Amino acid sequence: MAADDKPKVPEQAVQDAREALDEGFFPLEFFNDDDLHELEMERIFGQAWVFVGHESEIPEPGDYARRYIGDDTFIFVRDESGEVNLLFDSCRHRGAKVCRAEQGNTSHFRCPYHGWTYKNNGEAAGIPQKSKAFKELDREEYGLAHVPRLETYEGLVFASLAEEGPTLEEWLGDFKWYFDIHMKLPEGGMEVIGEPHRWVIDANWKTIADNFNGDSYHTAWAHGSVLDLELGGEETVGHAGTGESMDRHIHCDGHTTSIRGFEDEDVFLTYPEEVVADLFTKEGLSEGQWQVARQALSFTGGIFPNFGFLHFGDTTDDPNKDVAPFFTIRKWRPLGPDQMELWSWGLAPKNAPEEFKERMYKMYTSNFGPTGNFEQDDVPIWKGITDVAGGQFASKQGYQLNYQMGLDWMSEMDLDEEWDGPGFAYSENLEEGGMRLFHEQWYEMLAGNAREDAIGVPMNIKEER
Amino acid sequence: MKLSEREDELEQLLVEREVRQFLNYEAELLDERNLHEWFDHVADDISYRMPRRLMHENTAASFSEKGYYFNEDYGSLEARVKRFDSEYAWAERPPTRTERYVTNVVVDEYDDDEVQVTNNLLVYLSRGDSEDHSFYSAKRHDRLRRRDDTFELVDREILLNQTVLSTDNVSIFL
Ligand code: FES
Ligand SMILES: [Fe+2]
Repeated sequence: MAADDKPKVPEQAVQDAREALDEGFFPLEFFNDDDLHELEMERIFGQAWVFVGHESEIPEPGDYARRYIGDDTFIFVRDESGEVNLLFDSCRHRGAKVCRAEQGNTSHFRCPYHGWTYKNNGEAAGIPQKSKAFKELDREEYGLAHVPRLETYEGLVFASLAEEGPTLEEWLGDFKWYFDIHMKLPEGGMEVIGEPHRWVIDANWKTIADNFNGDSYHTAWAHGSVLDLELGGEETVGHAGTGESMDRHIHCDGHTTSIRGFEDEDVFLTYPEEVVADLFTKEGLSEGQWQVARQALSFTGGIFPNFGFLHFGDTTDDPNKDVAPFFTIRKWRPLGPDQMELWSWGLAPKNAPEEFKERMYKMYTSNFGPTGNFEQDDVPIWKGITDVAGGQFASKQGYQLNYQMGLDWMSEMDLDEEWDGPGFAYSENLEEGGMRLFHEQWYEMLAGNAREDAIGVPMNIKEER
Repeated sequence: MKLSEREDELEQLLVEREVRQFLNYEAELLDERNLHEWFDHVADDISYRMPRRLMHENTAASFSEKGYYFNEDYGSLEARVKRFDSEYAWAERPPTRTERYVTNVVVDEYDDDEVQVTNNLLVYLSRGDSEDHSFYSAKRHDRLRRRDDTFELVDREILLNQTVLSTDNVSIFL
C-alpha cells in the first residue's frame, strides 16, 4: 500500500488495517484522518456503550450535568422520582438548547427561544399559548428525547446511541470481574469527588486508548521524573519486565487491565490499615477477586472504546509524606481526527473518613489530570503522534507502527494458566496485545462487523491453541 | 487638602508600589523559568490553590468546593518545582514560553507584617515550533508577608476563567 497517491476510501483503509494488524502493525496515518474520523463517529460512537458519568455526581432530584457522546450534547439528570435520565439537549420545537450550564439543580428546563418547558424527566410541561397556537399538539409526544439506551453498572452510567445491540452487561462481559474489584472492594462503593477535569488537546483519541490498554512499557521512560523525585515507587512506575512485582496483562472480552502487585502479601493498593480494616469487604467479591485486590499495588485499564481507569497505590505528592492511593476514571471524547476532550474524575470510597477522601483526591491531582505529575508528560507525546500522522509522509510511505511486542516470534509470552480470573492473563507486562485487541475491535466496528468478532483468543496464541 | 494631610493615602500608595514591584519581579522569575529562585519567595506555611471553575446558570464566579487543579503545601509545591529539574519532565522540554501580565493590583488590607492583595493575571503561552499559543486568564488573591526587604508568598488562590482548559497540561505556575 505504499506510494498510492489516490486518497484512500476509508473502507479500503480499514481492510488494509486488518492485514497489517495480523503482523502487529498499525498505520500511523490512522491516527489523524478525516474520513476515518467520520466513520468512527458513525460506527463506533454511534453504536458503542459510552461512559456518561457516575450516579454520585447527581445525588439529589433535579441535579444535572451536561454530558457529551461524540458530537451530541445531553443532559445527565436525576428526576423528581430519583431516576437517572440522559436527555438530548434540543428543544422539540425548533431545536434550541434548553440547558445552559455545565451543572446545577432544576425541576424544569426552559427553552430560551419560545418558552417550551420540560420537566427534569424530559416530559413537556408547558407550551406558551398552547390552546391557541398548538391546540392539536399532544404534549406527551413532545418531551425531550431520551438517549435510546441508558444502563448503569455499579453507579457508572453508560449510554448507547443505537436502538439495538448488545446490552451493557454483554458489552462489559466478564470484564466486570476485574472492575468489580474497584467498585465493590470498599463497603458502600466508590464515589466521585468534585467535578471532572476537562481539557482539550490536539491529539487523536486512539493515542490515549493505546496508552490505557496496556502500555506498561512507557512508564519508566515517560514518567522518569516521578521516579527521580521518588513520588512513586519503582514497582508502580518502573520498567515493564523488571522489578520484583508480579505483573499481569489481562485481556477480557475486549477490555484490558494491567495489574502490578506482590504475591502473597497484603498490599491493598497501600490503602491505610484503618480503611482496609473498616471498609474493605469480601462481600460481593469472590475469593479470587479478593486475592487480586489484596496483592495489588496498581491497576491500569481500558473499557472499549473510550473509558479508562487507574487505581494506583504507593504514590505521594511529596517524598517526605506517606504514600497513599488514588483512583481515577476517565474518558476521551473525540472532537475531530486531531483533537479530543479529556474528562477525568477522582474517586474515593464513599464511606471513608472525609480527611482520607481529601487525601485521595489530592493524590489524584498530584499525579493525573491536567496538573498531574504523571499526566503532564503524557499528553504532549500523544499530540506529537497525531501531528506526524496528519502529514503526507505517513500515508505516502505507508508508515507502519510496530505493535509486535509479545507476538510469539518476538518474545516469549506465557499465559498464567493458574490465573483465577476470566480472560487471558499474561504472566508479565512486556507485551502490546491489549493495544492490538483495541485496534482489532476498532477494525471490526469500522468494517461494520460485530465488535465481538475481534474478541477471542489473543492473536499471538491463536496458532498454539 | 494638603499633601501632608493625606498621609494614609501616601502610605497606601507606597505599599501598593512595593507589592506591584514584587508581583512583577515574581512574574519575571516565572517567565524566565527561574523556579528555584521563585521558590525562595515561598513561605514554608504556603497554601497555593487553584479551584476548579464551574459554569453555573446564575453566577458569574462559582468554584468547586471539593475539586481543584492545585491544592499545594510547601512540600508538594517543592516537589513540583524539583520535578522540572529531572531530564524526564517532558512537559517542559523545551520550556513553555510565557509572558505574564499582572494588572488591576488592589491592596485589600495590610499591616506591618502582611499584605492582602487582589490582582489579575494574563499568561500568554507558546509551545513548540508553531504559531500555536494559548492564554490563561485568572484573578488571584494573594497574601504576602514581609521578609527582609522583600516579600514571601503565604497564600495564593488562583481563580481561572476557563472551565474547560485549552492547554495540554498545566506545567507552569500561575
Ligand atoms: S425552540 Fe424551544 S420553544 Fe421554540
Ligand atoms: Fe503515562
